Order: sequence, then structure tokens, then C-alpha cells
Amino acid sequence: MTTTPPTLEYGPDDAATPDDESTDLLAVENLQVQFGTYDGPVRAVDGVSFSVEPGETVGIVGESGCGKSVTARSIVGLQEPGEVVGGTVHIDGVNVHEASDRTRRRLRGDTVSMVFQDPDQTLNPAFDVGEQIAESLKVHDQPERQRLLDYLHAPLFASRSDWRDHRKRAVELMAQVGIDDPADRVDDYPHEFSGGMRQRAGLAIALASDPDLLIADEPTTALDTTTQAQLLDRFRRLTDERNMATLLITHDLGVVADICDRVVVLYAGQVMETGPTDRVLAEPHHPYTRALLECRTSRAARKQRVPTIEGAVPDRLGEQPGCPFAPRCPAAVDTCQEGKPPTFERDDGTVRCREGVVFGESDDDGGPVLEYGCGETQCAREDSSTTSDTATATARSASPPPRPDDDTDPLVSLEGVSKRYQQAGGLLRRLLGTDRCLQAVDDVTLEIAAGETLGLVGESGSGKSTLADLVTGLETPTSGAVRFDGDPVGAAGTRTAATLHDVGVVFQNPRSSLNPRLPVAQVIAEPLYADGWEDQRRRDRVGELLESVGLSERHTERYPHELSGGQLQRVAIARAIALEPRLVVLDEPVSALDVSVQARVLNLLLELQRELELTYLLISHDLDVVEHVSDRVVVLSNGEVVEAGQTERVLAEPSHPETAALVEAVPRLEHSSQ
Amino acid sequence: MDTAPYLVHRFGTSLVVLAGVSVVTYGLLFLTPGDPAEVILSQQLDRQPSEAEIEAFRAEHGMDEPVPLQYADWLTDVLRGDLGTSYYSDASISALILDALPLTLELAAASVVVALALAIPTGVLSAVHRGTAIDRASQLGALVGVSMPNFWLGYLLILVFALTLGVFPVAGAGSYSQLVLPAVTLGTGMAAVLTRLVRSSMLDVLDEGYLDTARSKGLRERIVVYKHALRNALVPVVTILGVQLGALLNGAVVIEIVFQRPGLGMLLVDAVFERNYPVVQGITLFTAVAFVVTNLLVDLSYRYLDPRVELGGDPT
Ligand code: SF4
Repeated sequence: MTTTPPTLEYGPDDAATPDDESTDLLAVENLQVQFGTYDGPVRAVDGVSFSVEPGETVGIVGESGCGKSVTARSIVGLQEPGEVVGGTVHIDGVNVHEASDRTRRRLRGDTVSMVFQDPDQTLNPAFDVGEQIAESLKVHDQPERQRLLDYLHAPLFASRSDWRDHRKRAVELMAQVGIDDPADRVDDYPHEFSGGMRQRAGLAIALASDPDLLIADEPTTALDTTTQAQLLDRFRRLTDERNMATLLITHDLGVVADICDRVVVLYAGQVMETGPTDRVLAEPHHPYTRALLECRTSRAARKQRVPTIEGAVPDRLGEQPGCPFAPRCPAAVDTCQEGKPPTFERDDGTVRCREGVVFGESDDDGGPVLEYGCGETQCAREDSSTTSDTATATARSASPPPRPDDDTDPLVSLEGVSKRYQQAGGLLRRLLGTDRCLQAVDDVTLEIAAGETLGLVGESGSGKSTLADLVTGLETPTSGAVRFDGDPVGAAGTRTAATLHDVGVVFQNPRSSLNPRLPVAQVIAEPLYADGWEDQRRRDRVGELLESVGLSERHTERYPHELSGGQLQRVAIARAIALEPRLVVLDEPVSALDVSVQARVLNLLLELQRELELTYLLISHDLDVVEHVSDRVVVLSNGEVVEAGQTERVLAEPSHPETAALVEAVPRLEHSSQ
Repeated sequence: MDTAPYLVHRFGTSLVVLAGVSVVTYGLLFLTPGDPAEVILSQQLDRQPSEAEIEAFRAEHGMDEPVPLQYADWLTDVLRGDLGTSYYSDASISALILDALPLTLELAAASVVVALALAIPTGVLSAVHRGTAIDRASQLGALVGVSMPNFWLGYLLILVFALTLGVFPVAGAGSYSQLVLPAVTLGTGMAAVLTRLVRSSMLDVLDEGYLDTARSKGLRERIVVYKHALRNALVPVVTILGVQLGALLNGAVVIEIVFQRPGLGMLLVDAVFERNYPVVQGITLFTAVAFVVTNLLVDLSYRYLDPRVELGGDPT
């Protein structure tokens, strides 16, 4: 435990005022953070500098593994994981890493607060939500009087009246962050809250200390679009009201466009570009920023390949000369590999790239600037796929995908399907007859034609996942009938092997849906094994599958934790198509992935669909993804179908308010860059 | 699972266990080599009893009825709180147990306090300073504690603190100073097991994200660790503590003999040596009931410690 010498206000170590006279609330100067690994130190943050002024909202963007979260955590002095090996962070003039524990606590209790990414991890499951908010208020009120017994509510040691007062203020804060019936919910435990509510509670905890700077690490990534939009809105309002500066870490450029004044683009632990949001998103100077913007599905024609950034964020092991983006950069030239590119100051920000790119090269020397987002290697790939695209496009126009109104029998049909759940309620409640019954799916009738992609959208809790479970037979309907190819779908246990073959499923989070103890080859082979394929045939098939999802032989013996999110999702896809299903249910297949990886997985799914004539049922809260991939869309709300139709029509001219709200909630670049 | 059906289920199974226990303990009587009446009488009279004396003894103790009837009679008495009388004196067994019980409870409670007071700080420190000298020292200590037989530690403590230093009395019961050595002896063994558990349980918890939330509030590390982390780490510890209570009774028997405390353990051992079957039976039954009840209580406290346990089947 930390014992701090009794000092007045800030300790002597903090007496040094910041060297520069700037008004920066947060100044990060050449920050370097390393992780120790078996192979040596990894430079997670490699010389990052930026600043945040009072009241300003700054976004940090980049793919995962770029050092965004590590940077954020280092700012508040949370060491794990990683160790700060160089550079300084000043908050309000105080050097965070040289400050005493006591000063750092003072900073956290007063000046800077943090909102974390994972709603399941933010709150302590053992204490009710009110307690956790009240605690934050208490720290802020009396930062120096933190006695363990008081905080443990030990009788005689704890002041009851103080706590009652703090709980009352906690209720007010809960109301401010948009938790309904705060007075009732203050005694609830975190597990009784939804993900969105937990994030709001996390925000309340952060706001309790009335900070000058709020650091939010992917605060809305785990939430569905509508909740995300509401929370972002709340964020903006509260930070405006209190004139609070915000540092927002995100991989979603739409979110940045929505609320940030300035952006810092991070790649491989280095700042690539900074500047005002509008300018950076509309006219990015740096090739990486451009490539990131290109990857968005909204920029690509429907059902066509989305441009991707090939390759992956490099592991920053050991000394590497040159620009870290060089292996993936379409504008790279030989000199990029040699020395570190300089950082150029432009009037509205900085760019770290070679001079020619920053200040525009004449068009005649190849003009890579203009062809950004399409590097040499990639262009080659693009060419080959364009031909196949056109080929399929013509094929498509010759035989358009079957529509439900055609005479052909649908592959899947649901007739008046409902699913009710008995909700967990006490005996007393049951006796009193106030037992709650959840109508998860309510009288749904829909058809999926062979070869089409049906997108299922709706807020979380609208019944999307239940509907998917009904189609796969994981759930049986309370009433109504689910038919697959004309035959009723029985419960999973009673179905014949043939129907099990016909449906494959890909889940959102491959890390939790795949067995972590099996190597990749076995993960994929599992369904084949269950189906009784003999050894040699199984091995051949696994090889074939790996190839078709773009993985190579060397991945076969790896374990899931050794693969990246994108590679794992490919494994999950390979497994889903192992038995040559006719229908594949895609449950949020790309939501957990970075934009650049998202694009690659979507391209893969589209390719597979063409090659194997698959039918997709796509569940996603990301309307851009749905729009890009689906032929038709069904909008669910409270278990009912409120709108259905061709994708273009439904999303362009929504006729139901629920659909309009969903469309409206998507954070888009286009809104703000105009 | 809802709370109410869970409770019903839990009480139901406890009753079944208790019924089984009662049958088995009753059966103990029939394990007596030879005819119990004869064996007892010969011991009481210190000579071979005559047929008539045996008959009379049987009639007096209801041993001439059919076995199920004897069992039913016995059970009715037991439920009324009457465990019968000792063979050698007319003292009621319930009274014997109630006399001895406070000393054993006192010892058990003091040992648990000692165990927790040792195990929690050591386990927590060990986890927080994982891999350092503190951690290695505490793990070594735990290893020694686990491997050391209780009675041996007891004699060692008597040797050092009672005979050499004279700080605490050698044996006996009744004062607090007489409680210290036995409680430390019994508590240490248990602390060793618990320390390892607290350590591993804390290590699981220390990586949790909510601790960062707590830190970012500006809380002192001490509160982060002892309030936010420990509370979650205690859940498995309490479960094991419940199981350990059974072992504690075992240990108490040995320790009471080492320290000459006239508690339940001494009573039991004396009864065994005297072949005083009704007393053995009574104590066995009593401890079995106590064990089942403690486990029930531990289960319920587990559900209190981890609020999520109440939820179970959430349909979404
Ligand atoms: S320095 Fe070279 S490789 Fe790096 S981003 Fe600029 S052009 Fe690309």
C-alpha cells in the first residue's frame, strides 16, 4: 500500500510548473510505452505528442493494436499493461508520471475522469450501482479522507448521513446521464442493467467528480446503433454544459465526425496526422487516413468489393527504421523504408509522411496521391476481382436473384411465429400474478428465398437474435411454424443430420464462440467429425476450407488466441460452411472488427456467396453493413416486423418511424463534412 | 433459478441427508461386537452378568423390541431433543453435549478468526505482490502450514510458549489465555489452505476492468484492493470455508486432547474408549446435523456475496 509523506497540496515533486506557458489542459509529449513480451519489448506507444485545450473534444482514431487504449490509460497513469519509458504527460500542468500517488489520486478525483470500453467490465458486480456512483462523489468531496473502514461501511466507522447524501446525489447523476426511474434503479446491481445502462452508469461515475477532462475509451463500441446515438448525444450535451474537454478513443470514423472538434490519427503507436475533424475527414493528407476512410462500406457500390488496407498493423518489436505504414502504404517509395518520416506542421495540424505526399507531388510522377486507397498489390487484386465482379454482375442481371413474390418455393419461411419467455420473477410475484412474460418474437411472417441475403435490423432487444435462433432451430416457437425448404424445423435435438447440414452460423465474437483449447484445424473439422467423415477426407476438406477463406496451411496448428480478430472470424466462417450448408446465419459477423478488417471479411462473405450459392440471413446493427450486403431488409421492433422490403427502398425512404430512427442514428461522415 | 424454489430444493435435500444420517448413526449401535447389553453390563459390573441381569437391562433400555420400532422410538426421542442417557452414568446425553459444546464452539470460532486474520492479508499481499519475495515467502509459509500435522504444532507451541516462555498456560480451558494456543494451532492449518485460495482468487480478480474504474475515481489503492477486489475474491473463499468447517471439527478433536480441553472432542474420545455407544451416537448425530446446517448457511451467504447468483435463467 502506498504511504505518502504528509505534504501540503501538491508534493514537492510536482512543484515544477509546465515548461511551456500554453493553456493546454492535457499535453502529451513524445510519450513512449512498452510491453514486455517473451520476444522482447513491444513499442505500443512510440513517441506520441498531442494536446487538448479546455472545453475541446479531440478524437483518437486508428485500427486496434495502434496504441489508442494504451495512450489513454497512460494519461491517467493506469500502468497495466505496459510501462512508460519516455516522454511526459501533463494534466493541468502536473506531470502525471512523476507525481506522487497522492497527487495522482487528486488528479483522478478532481481533474480527469475515464469511461471504459467494455460495459461488462466497467462496474463491480458485487456492489449496487448507486454505491459505485456515490463512492466517486465521496472521493471527490473528501479526497484526503479515505479510510478503508469508512468505505467498507463498517458500523461506527462510517458516516451514515454522508452516504445517504451521496446516494441522493447519485440518483440525480443517474437522471442526468439518462437512466430512467433512477430512484428505483439506484439499488440495482450491474447485472440487472443492460449494456447501454451500464455505460451510462460508467459515465455517471466519471461525471461525479465534475472533471475538466473526460477520457472515453471506445465508450459506445459495444452498443447497438440507437443506444450508441443516444449515448453520444448525452455525451455531447453534458460535456458542452459543463464545458468539459473530452478525449474520445474510437475506431469509428462516424463517431468522430459526429462529436469531435479535432482528430489525432494513430498508427503503430505513432501520430500520423492531426487536424480539425472536418478537414481531416474531407481532405486527409496522410495515406493512412485516406485508406481508413476508403474502407467504409458506404463508399463502395452495393455488393461490390470494398477497398481494404492489405496487411496488418505491425508488431512493434525491436528497432525498425522507416515509416511503420510503409508495407501497406500505396504511396510508399524506397526512401520510406529507410528513415523515419518527418512530422510536418501544416497550418491546421500535423502530418507525418514524406515531404512529397504532404505538399502534393506533381501528377506526372505517378501521382500516387490521387490514387490513394489503391496500392500496387491491391490494384492487381482489384483488377482480377473486377473482372469477376462484372462477370457476376452480368450473370446477375441475366438471372436476377429470386424474389419472394416469385413462384419458386422460399428456402426458409416463417408463418405467424411467436416466441414468449417466462421471465425470472420471484415466487411472490408469481403468486400475485404480476409475473412478467417477455414477448421476444410476435407473430412474424417472412420468407427467405434461396440465394438472397436478408438483413435483419432493429435495436438490441428487438428480437433479432431470437428470430435467428428460431430459424436455426436453437429455439422452438411458442406458436406458428418455421419451415426450411418446406419441412418444419424441429428442435435441435430431434432434427435429422440432413437439416443440421443445411444451416451454418457465424457469431459476433469468435473469441467466445470458438473453443480456445483446440487448434484451428480441429475447430474447423469439428462439424465434419461430428458428421462422421473419415480422417483423410476431413483433412482435405479443412485444407480446402482454409484456402477458401483466405487462410494458409501455416494457420492450421495455431490456437485461437494466436490469431487476430479478423483471422478468427475467417476460421468461424470456414467452420460454418464446412458441411456445405445452404443457409448461413450471420449474427453481427463484423461488429467486433476494425473497419479495415471488416471490409476484408465482408468481401470474403460476398465472394463465398457467389461461389457457393449461399443464402444469408444477416443480423447487424450496423446499417452500413446491412445496406452493403443485403438484397432485402426486415426491420424488427419489440418482436414485430414493422417494415420489410428491398434494401435501397427501405433505407432510403423508410416508411416506419422505427426504421427512420435507425437510419437517423447511424453516425455518418457525410453529415458533418458538408 | 428463483430464490424461493431454490430454498425449497435446498431444504429438501438437507432433510433427506439428515434422514440418512439418522439411520446410519442408529445403525452404529449394531456395530458393537457381541451383544451390546452383555458387553455394557460386564463393563459396568466388572464381571460376567447373569442372563436375568441382561434381560432386565434389555427391557430397561428398550432393546427387546423389533429394530424398526426401536429406531422409531429413538427418532421420536431425538426429535424431542432427548438423545438418551449414558451407559455409565445417568446423565442425559443432550446435557453432556450442551456442557461440552461451548468450549468446542469457542475453539472453532477463535480458530476461524485466527485463520481469516492470517489468510486474508497474507493472501492479498501475496497476490498484489505476485512473484516478489513477499509472495514466495507467503507461499512457502502456506506450504509449511499445510504439511505440518496439527498436534505436532500444538506440542511445539506448548513447548515454546507455555513451558519455555511461560506466556500461556499449558492446558485446560475456561480463560482466554487458555484459548490462545489451541486456537492458533487449529487456525494456522486452516489459514494455510485459505491463504492459497485467497491468493489465487485475488489473482483472478486483480485483472478485472472494474478495478480500473475504481482507480480512476481517485480511490486509494488500499480501498481498491480491500474493498473492490477482495469482495469479489471472497466468494470462492467462503464456499471453501464452509467445507473447511467440517475439517475444523475433526481438528478440534485432536487439539482438545493435546490441550486437555473438556469439549465435544474429548467427550467423544472418552466415550469411544469406554464403548459408551449412546454417547458416540449422540455426538455423531449432533455433529452431522451441525455440518449440514452450516453448509446450508454457507450456501445462502454465497448468494448474498455474489448478487448475480440470484439471477440464473435470464431469457435474453
Ligand atoms: S512516409 Fe512513405 S510509407 Fe509512410 S505513409 Fe508516407 S508515403 Fe506512406
